[in-house]
Amino acid sequence: MNINKVAVIGAGVMGASIAAHISNAGIPVFLLDIVPKDASNRNVIAETAIKQLLKASPPPFMHKNNAKLVTPGNIEDHLHWLTDVDWVIEAIIENPDIKQSLYLKLAEVCEEDTVISSNTSTLPLKLLMQGMPENLQQQFLISHFFNPPRYMRLLELVAGPATRPELIDAVSEFSDIKLGKGCVPCKDTPGFIANRIGIYWAQCGLLEAIKQGLTVEEADAVISSPFGIPKTGVFGLLDLVGLDLMPHIMQSMEQTLAADDAFHQIKTIPPLLKQMIADGYTGRKGKGGFYRLNKEQGQRIKESINLSTGEYSPSEKVKLDSIKAAQKNGVQALLAFDDKTGRFAWQVMAKTLLYAASLVPEIADDIVAIDQAMRLGFNWQQGPFDLLDKIDKAWFVAKAKEEGFDIPPLLENQSKLYTVTDGKQLFSDLTGNYHSIPKKSGVICLADIKLQSPAILSNASASLWDVGDGVACLEFHSKMNTLDMDSMSLIRQSIDAIKTKFSALVIHNEAENFSAGANLGLLMIALQESNWDAVSALINEGQQTYKALKYAPFPVVAAPSGLALGGGCEILLHCDAVQAHAELYTGLVEVGVGLVPGWGGCKEYLRRQMQHPKRFGGPIPPISKAFETIGLARVSQSAFEAKQLLFLSADDGITMNKERLLTDAKAKAISLSANYTPPEPYEYQLAGQTAQILLTIATKALHLIGKASVYDLEVSKQLSHVLSGGNCDVTNPLSEDDILALELEAFLSLVKQPGTVARLEHMLKTGKPLRN
Amino acid sequence: MKNVVIAGYCRSPFTPANKGQLITVRADDLAAQVIQGLIKKTGVTPEDIEDLILGCAFPEGEQGLNLARLVVHLADLPVTVAGMTINRFCGSSMQAIHNAAGAIQMGAGEVFICAGIESMTRIPMGGFNMMPNPDLYKSYPQAYISMGDTAENLADLYQIDRPAQEQFSVTSHHKAYKAQQNGHFSDEIIAIETSRAGTVTQDGCVRPDCNEQSLAELKPAFKADGSVTAGTSSPLTDGAAAVLVCSEDYANSHHLEKLARIKSIAVSACLPEIMGIGPVNASQKALQRANLTLDDIDIVELNEAFAAQSLAVLNDLPIPEHKLNLDGGAIALGHPLGATGARITGKAASLLKRENQQFALATQCIGGGQGIATILEAIS
Repeated sequence: MNINKVAVIGAGVMGASIAAHISNAGIPVFLLDIVPKDASNRNVIAETAIKQLLKASPPPFMHKNNAKLVTPGNIEDHLHWLTDVDWVIEAIIENPDIKQSLYLKLAEVCEEDTVISSNTSTLPLKLLMQGMPENLQQQFLISHFFNPPRYMRLLELVAGPATRPELIDAVSEFSDIKLGKGCVPCKDTPGFIANRIGIYWAQCGLLEAIKQGLTVEEADAVISSPFGIPKTGVFGLLDLVGLDLMPHIMQSMEQTLAADDAFHQIKTIPPLLKQMIADGYTGRKGKGGFYRLNKEQGQRIKESINLSTGEYSPSEKVKLDSIKAAQKNGVQALLAFDDKTGRFAWQVMAKTLLYAASLVPEIADDIVAIDQAMRLGFNWQQGPFDLLDKIDKAWFVAKAKEEGFDIPPLLENQSKLYTVTDGKQLFSDLTGNYHSIPKKSGVICLADIKLQSPAILSNASASLWDVGDGVACLEFHSKMNTLDMDSMSLIRQSIDAIKTKFSALVIHNEAENFSAGANLGLLMIALQESNWDAVSALINEGQQTYKALKYAPFPVVAAPSGLALGGGCEILLHCDAVQAHAELYTGLVEVGVGLVPGWGGCKEYLRRQMQHPKRFGGPIPPISKAFETIGLARVSQSAFEAKQLLFLSADDGITMNKERLLTDAKAKAISLSANYTPPEPYEYQLAGQTAQILLTIATKALHLIGKASVYDLEVSKQLSHVLSGGNCDVTNPLSEDDILALELEAFLSLVKQPGTVARLEHMLKTGKPLRN
Repeated sequence: MKNVVIAGYCRSPFTPANKGQLITVRADDLAAQVIQGLIKKTGVTPEDIEDLILGCAFPEGEQGLNLARLVVHLADLPVTVAGMTINRFCGSSMQAIHNAAGAIQMGAGEVFICAGIESMTRIPMGGFNMMPNPDLYKSYPQAYISMGDTAENLADLYQIDRPAQEQFSVTSHHKAYKAQQNGHFSDEIIAIETSRAGTVTQDGCVRPDCNEQSLAELKPAFKADGSVTAGTSSPLTDGAAAVLVCSEDYANSHHLEKLARIKSIAVSACLPEIMGIGPVNASQKALQRANLTLDDIDIVELNEAFAAQSLAVLNDLPIPEHKLNLDGGAIALGHPLGATGARITGKAASLLKRENQQFALATQCIGGGQGIATILEAIS
């Protein structure tokens, strides 16, 4: 069974965002809501929701054109649309009676093969299906998306005893491949997996921080990065989720969980939280929450609340000895650290990890599902059981016992929770027996390959792996995957190795970001020493390495996800093809640090604009388009946008599920390797000085209106010089090497100027561009 | 010398570029439909037409080649009608009228169609491939100055503040809306067939609800601390206009309706950075050639490129409000560059008749630093 058409009922934030994400898969979707009383426009709720989606940040749509795939309607006039829909997702108010009366209507209009699912986050399936007709029960399940649905990768699926397995399979496969979700099967228990543990963790954090007298900054610093948890920590997360939700969730958990559940011990809503909600401090959607932005003095000052007085004051950067200890000796050192922050970390994490361990098999069959749910649903780098192994389970259990905690059976035995045997990762069950982690057939990932065989080549910044079938995979693994001489050297070595042993290369890594670009710190050192030879060498090495990649006698396919900026984007531009994760944020952002793309980015991007079949004729449009994209440092907000910006080619592939990216890229590389011939060098016919003057006029107009700074004018001048072909005449074609020489010239001219140095220093210090 | 008369005027609806109802219509098709309308409306014998002179400010792409000759075929005019495309930027189609007048007086033809066209949607201002001369830019950069900057310069030079500009815009919109309500445009507008928007009969730029408060909220459009906004500039517009120009003898012998006689014409040039002041000198030259003073003029069509620019002109050419742009100006109606000259000249001629007045002046400024003016006289 295939899912080709979907409907979402309920156009609140969640329902509408789910509809948007389904449109991201190219699937038409109906979005229906009720008809408000006396409404002249009967679709007003859904129509308004779509308008809001187009304005929302971060954008729910991967391309604004996707909004056209979402058809607004209402449940009074348009239920008949659902007759040929394959999946109906209900995302209306969390009220069982209202939901059930809708289900009965759906059962009347929908085919028996149509999946009907609820996006409930709190109501059990057995309650929703109580007294419902048998045929409805067979087509019903719970599909619980996380907010925001485009970005959060977890989809919790709960099937009832009557749910037809083929319908569960259809939803799982569709959600995996088309929506890019990690589907985790959950038991029919309150809060399913991720919220059951995540809310428990957040609530523990809230109560414990108040009890131990921590500031919110301290609490969030301790409970985040050291544990591989997003830097929002507890309080930042509560602000994001909405403080007003907490009492509702607590109440619902209290009513539905067994009397002996540990949740009951932490259900208290502190008076401070009640007061904040009453005052409208409901989080980022309201006036602010534990953090707020104070704009009163015309500046934006981040402030935090004092947990004991309820007063706001400017947020402070925290430097904690406990965190230093963790950086030096691992996370165990933090949990054992003897101060209030160490005790806080221990109390919160001990309770959470013990609670998670006590819930196997109540909420999921195994620890793998729970770890996956916490990784994908709360963006934890490690799930609770990964973390336990990292902390050292035996140490943890001993300390917990000593402090009088109950130890769940899962943690009673001595073995680690995960282990590796014969290159395969295994997990422990309740009795300490190991089982292999089930893998999707045909799906490969680097992490598994690394367990099975050593790297072919490796240095501090990159490694080359054999991913089978004649394909090698080049992995960056420096900090933020920045690119340096080591990266270049490994690319060169890889090219030689592949020539003899492989038929294709994939450039891919499984980090959050493909590459943040060139290592600016190294460039800065050369600048401080006025070592212009070193700067030239850095540019030359990058240009020649990328050129070698482009003209290598085998196909090169990049498979990026997340950020691919500057030098990271330039690699994509030099590849034969790209298989991109849908969440690709790529762009040539060099002007932000007062530079121009110097590793062939100008050369390749200009070529793409010149060869674009739909471009306007004449010598100017491709130059001005390239100038606009690079000069404004445009970054794609998705792979689809990257195509529109020509960072990707029309034939490049897009993979929705990051987990499948290497698999898809490898297939693409293999498909290109039969009878592969490297590309022909391109000849540039450029307008020269006249184009440069045109761009100068345009930039000056931007400066006049306040959209370009003083130093932007200088950077733009250098950029326009490169993109116009320098002082060439239109009758005099330039080679790729000519453009590379112009890049180098512009780069060297800029690095010698204080404006560029100031931009670089500011970026290295603050991570943000300087507008000078 | 032969007398030259305007013997008919019509235009397409003027609609906003990039979002209006005419965005799907090619410039050549738009011009052809308006010219067919003019032929039908005036009843002129097509075989008698000497030449189609077509003004266009960016004659490239769909407006390229020799657009006028191609429009002859698209408008089903006899193959014997010649065609010339002419470019004096915003003054292009007024220049078309001047060329025809000169030719008639030279005995080089009796009947001319003088038209103007601009699809600012389909051909961007500046064209697709603007290629400035590097040497000229270095020695005399103001040759390439943008129009918005010239408006800011005039606002500074004449100390025209932002509220004054906004008030001027509001007045223009209100006059245009009133004219619309009174059916004053139905006579001149030729319905245009489009593939996407059906038959288009109404102007699209006029904002009946335009007021000082809403204009005051707009951000400056050209200069961060400037005073000129989108609301006090004429909008980018798609549109075409056409007038029939012939000798008075021909009009009489063929019983054509004569709107006005062309009394005098002039062009002038000024500094590019204050191009908007161009109408002052051009009008004075034309007045002198007509042996008239400004006080003698009853009807004025002054093209509103910018409110600041119009107010600067009015400072030097004090024209009473009741004579000025009776049915609104370009700020409200729109300014399809090549078409505007034919519109305001045709409009001035029609107004002489409607208002039963004697002398009219049509004048406009031109990018690059020029002015153009035409004085018309009623035919009793």
